[in-house]
Amino acid sequence: MLCRVNLSASGMDVLEAENGRTALELAKRERPDLVLLDVMMPDVDGWTVARELADDERTREIPIVFLTARAEAADKRMGQKLGGVGYVVKPFDPVMIGDFVERVIERVERGEREQLTRDISSTTGQ
Amino acid sequence: MSTPQTHDAADRARRLQRVAELLAEVVTPQEVLDAILTDGVRAAEAHAGAIGVLSADGETIELLAQRGYDPDVMSSWATFPVDAQLPMSEVVRTGKPLFISTLAERNRLYPSLSHLGQEGNALVVLPLAVQGAVFGGLSLSFDRDIEFEQERRELKMAFARQAAQALARSRLYAAEQALRERMTFLAEASELLASSLDYNRTLARLAQLCVPGLADWCAIDILGPNGEIERLAVAHQDPEKVRWAHELQERYPPDPDAPHGVANVLRTGAPEFLPSFPQELLDEALGDNDELRRIVDELGLNSSITVPLNARGRTLGALSLIAAETHPPFTQADFELALEVARRAAVAVDNARLFREAERGANAARALAYVADGVVLIDKDNIVRHWNPAAALITGVAEEDALDRPVRDVVPSWDALTTHVPLVAPGAPARPVTVPIVIDGDERWVAVSGVAFMQGRVYALQDVTEERALEKTRSDFVTTASHELRTPLAAVYGAIRTLRREDVELSEEDQAQFLEMIEAEATRLARIVDQILLAGQLDADAVELDVSECDPSEIAARVIESAQVHSPETISLSLDVDGTPKISCDENKLRQVLVNLVDNAVKYSPGGGRVELRVRNGDGSCVIDVIDEGLGIPPGERERIFEKFYRLDPDQTHGVGGSGLGLYIVRELVERMDGRLSVESELGKGSRFTLELPAR
Repeated sequence: MLCRVNLSASGMDVLEAENGRTALELAKRERPDLVLLDVMMPDVDGWTVARELADDERTREIPIVFLTARAEAADKRMGQKLGGVGYVVKPFDPVMIGDFVERVIERVERGEREQLTRDISSTTGQ
Repeated sequence: MSTPQTHDAADRARRLQRVAELLAEVVTPQEVLDAILTDGVRAAEAHAGAIGVLSADGETIELLAQRGYDPDVMSSWATFPVDAQLPMSEVVRTGKPLFISTLAERNRLYPSLSHLGQEGNALVVLPLAVQGAVFGGLSLSFDRDIEFEQERRELKMAFARQAAQALARSRLYAAEQALRERMTFLAEASELLASSLDYNRTLARLAQLCVPGLADWCAIDILGPNGEIERLAVAHQDPEKVRWAHELQERYPPDPDAPHGVANVLRTGAPEFLPSFPQELLDEALGDNDELRRIVDELGLNSSITVPLNARGRTLGALSLIAAETHPPFTQADFELALEVARRAAVAVDNARLFREAERGANAARALAYVADGVVLIDKDNIVRHWNPAAALITGVAEEDALDRPVRDVVPSWDALTTHVPLVAPGAPARPVTVPIVIDGDERWVAVSGVAFMQGRVYALQDVTEERALEKTRSDFVTTASHELRTPLAAVYGAIRTLRREDVELSEEDQAQFLEMIEAEATRLARIVDQILLAGQLDADAVELDVSECDPSEIAARVIESAQVHSPETISLSLDVDGTPKISCDENKLRQVLVNLVDNAVKYSPGGGRVELRVRNGDGSCVIDVIDEGLGIPPGERERIFEKFYRLDPDQTHGVGGSGLGLYIVRELVERMDGRLSVESELGKGSRFTLELPAR
């Protein structure tokens, strides 16, 4: 809800999924410009969602930004390994999330996807 | 008919007979000498007599005693050479008697004597011999000139033979007496030395035993562990003098480099025997110290023996004997006795020390047998020399399989195990390194520290598997707690930041939802913090129970009511009460227990389902079940879930949050209320936690 309200305020269309399974279905059907993905979710966790999106040709190119309470270096490495282009550690400022997502999309469009993935290891917050 | 001559001869024979009888009665050398030189000399018609004996080396004659001569003159004849041109020397050399009738004849035969004893007359010198061996001479001087006819000569020769026998017998007797005294002393000393292992006390008593029989003074010094000379005992008959000697020792501590005396004996291990104190030695030792010189003069030192206490090739100390005011100068026999006493004392000291070492070793071995840390001693050839029971337990290798074998054969991974362990010097702080070892497929973590010393290395092994596991759960807890705190914090912070946006107009519904979110997440935060604090209190045993009569079904109803407010719609909560036993417990704590169990049931039912609370009467108890249809618990983890920080799904990727403290707190609280908690579960089908509390 936090993200929905703030991203909408930045003029984005937001689709919400309450768990991993729904998120997968939504992403495959709607193919959004970007997925903001929590890791700790009931049933299917965020890592599995990212892995399945990457395995599917239709969704492989969708940039994923992880948004999670997990701040360990090992978790960030997992985010990189799964091709994430951003890694936001909770708590974060939702007011800035719109600008952040816009910037990421722009850079992905400029072909800086790999650079964004590499930058995850130095992420400290948003 | 008797003539005057035959009468005189018979008289002389009778007198001599009496002397012979007297000599047969007396025993000691002094008594014999007295008898010879008084009654004997008189019976022999002489006015003076002297007895000389051959020295032990056969080179000189020592004058034992005299009677009737001028003492001043005789003092210059105390000792004279066997090969001198003197009457007694000649008699001792030849074994033949000498009969000189006049002074003129004496001076003619012995010109060197012509200036002496001019008033003398006849002189007879007789050999003193036993079994043909001459051991001295007896000289008799007469106050008139005498022609020694055959009868006179024979009588004097007979007198000399009797005197010789009596003297030899008395000397044997004295020697035997002295030997017996020495044997008695040695026996006493041996008994004393064997009486105790406290050699400090024993040696002090030995010193006491030596005075005054063996010497006027006795001192015993022991070499300390660092080569220092430690005076163990000083003995003298007069305690005042002993005090004085101690003071002297403090004022003039022994010079360890001194060329003579105790220091020298301790250094060289060789004995020192001074029958008399040569003046130059005293001068050298005393130097310019007038006070010391005065003290030495006062002491009247005349002879000393210092013998080392040697055992197994080492010098342990020294025994010193001094003859001063009462004791005659020491003889070779005294020296030999001192050597024997010292030898026995050294053996006693050595035995006592060995015993003490053995005892210490045995105590150390006993301590090592019970200590929880593994202790391994490896010699410089890498052979195992000690392997205590804890080492056997940690490594899985029994002591008998390890001792006297190369350590690499005992534990093949030994090098890998110890390669990173720094070996410190004895006394330096240990620097343990924790390494894993696998025993029978089971991985154990062992903290290994090592000390290197001259003869090898000692390793201490500590099984830290449990500490390491605890450390891991602690660090897991920190990670878990931070995850747990971040999520509600993110929600509260994010909701407030969003509510305060001025550029966005939120609908009333959104606003209400954000406020609800803030309230719910703040509550969640508070609960997590409460749990952490409560776990800390339980650890410190600082939880106080407020016990009162309460109705468990009522508490259960309120718990279900409140759970319904924030549980997902997919969860169906229900309460089943069958009988309402009253119990004595802390109502708040019981509520906390039930809240935790119900929350857990909801949390581990991510797919939804029924969560039921059942309250019923047990056998003298109240039984409460919390039943869910959730994920279930794998069989191997049903006990571990009650451990602190233990979590199913430790990575928490499945979104089942929690501090890992909930069930730990539940069990601890239940046990403090004298209750019992058990769990049944089937994986994938759900769990049943059963709580039993004693009825009131």
